[in-house]
Amino acid sequence: MVSGTWRRAVWIGLAFVLAVAGTFVFAYRAGRQARHIHAANEPIRPWMSVPFIAHTHHVPAAALFQAIGVEPREPHDRRSVRHLARDLNRPVPQVIGQLQRAIDAAAHPPRGGPR
Amino acid sequence: MNDQLLALVSQYGTPALFGIVAIAAVGAPLPITLLLIVAGSMISQGAMNLWWTIALAGAGSILGDQAGYAIGRWGGEKAIGRFGALLGKKRARLEAWEAKAKAWGGPGIFITRWLLSPLGPWINLASGTAGYPWRRFLFWDALGEMTGAVLYISLGRFFSDRVMALDAVLGNLTWAVGALLAAIILGYQLVASVRRARV
Repeated sequence: MVSGTWRRAVWIGLAFVLAVAGTFVFAYRAGRQARHIHAANEPIRPWMSVPFIAHTHHVPAAALFQAIGVEPREPHDRRSVRHLARDLNRPVPQVIGQLQRAIDAAAHPPRGGPR
Repeated sequence: MNDQLLALVSQYGTPALFGIVAIAAVGAPLPITLLLIVAGSMISQGAMNLWWTIALAGAGSILGDQAGYAIGRWGGEKAIGRFGALLGKKRARLEAWEAKAKAWGGPGIFITRWLLSPLGPWINLASGTAGYPWRRFLFWDALGEMTGAVLYISLGRFFSDRVMALDAVLGNLTWAVGALLAAIILGYQLVASVRRARV
């Protein structure tokens, strides 16, 4: 017959194994993400402003404002994508799609341009 | 909700950050690490001032922590019970945190400001109910909150174009540290428990 003290030790042992496993899993995930941090594709989120997106994707903010057809407010237009979508009366995913296409176009300019 | 808070900081800068970190420190589950990283990124873009941001982020957190401590210290049984219920915790759970606050002391307060921040509001409340000296609480609290503000804002500045990726790394790292601390505590308990069972 297993005593209460031993039963308690078994439960603590199981919790200990779980905690050790958790440490390794989360540390591995953190390490893997840290290794690829510069290669990671930064997503566009509805809370981001156009200058913020321009900074994270190394694209001029003016090009992104132009892509969604917005005249930026002076001196700093820090409206979020959600705010801009509401002002433009367009769905948020559509505005994000337009911004993403403009970023892709800036990263891979079409060939055959003037030399 | 989180999206709206991030948009507020992005649009209104430091005053919005101050208000949000103060509310989070009282106990609201808000993405403070991500907010500080975003603030750091905005500093590198020239949209916010470094020293003002660190000062207001730290001050907001300290203010919220002091409110949590005051509820614990002077709120009375009813207020503490209501506050705990509001955050989904029972009196027995708060008593367990009270014991932890006494056992961990200053280093416990310090580490739950920036590394194990989800535990922060409980330690504030428990420190108040346990009668932990206010001046000592303020010292460790201010030290921890300023460490967190400087650390996460600096990381945000350094990785200003990788805020979401950095937040994911830090999220996993926090879980790893939490699990490691749990493993250490459980390891001690396991050894003690086996020794008791053998006697």
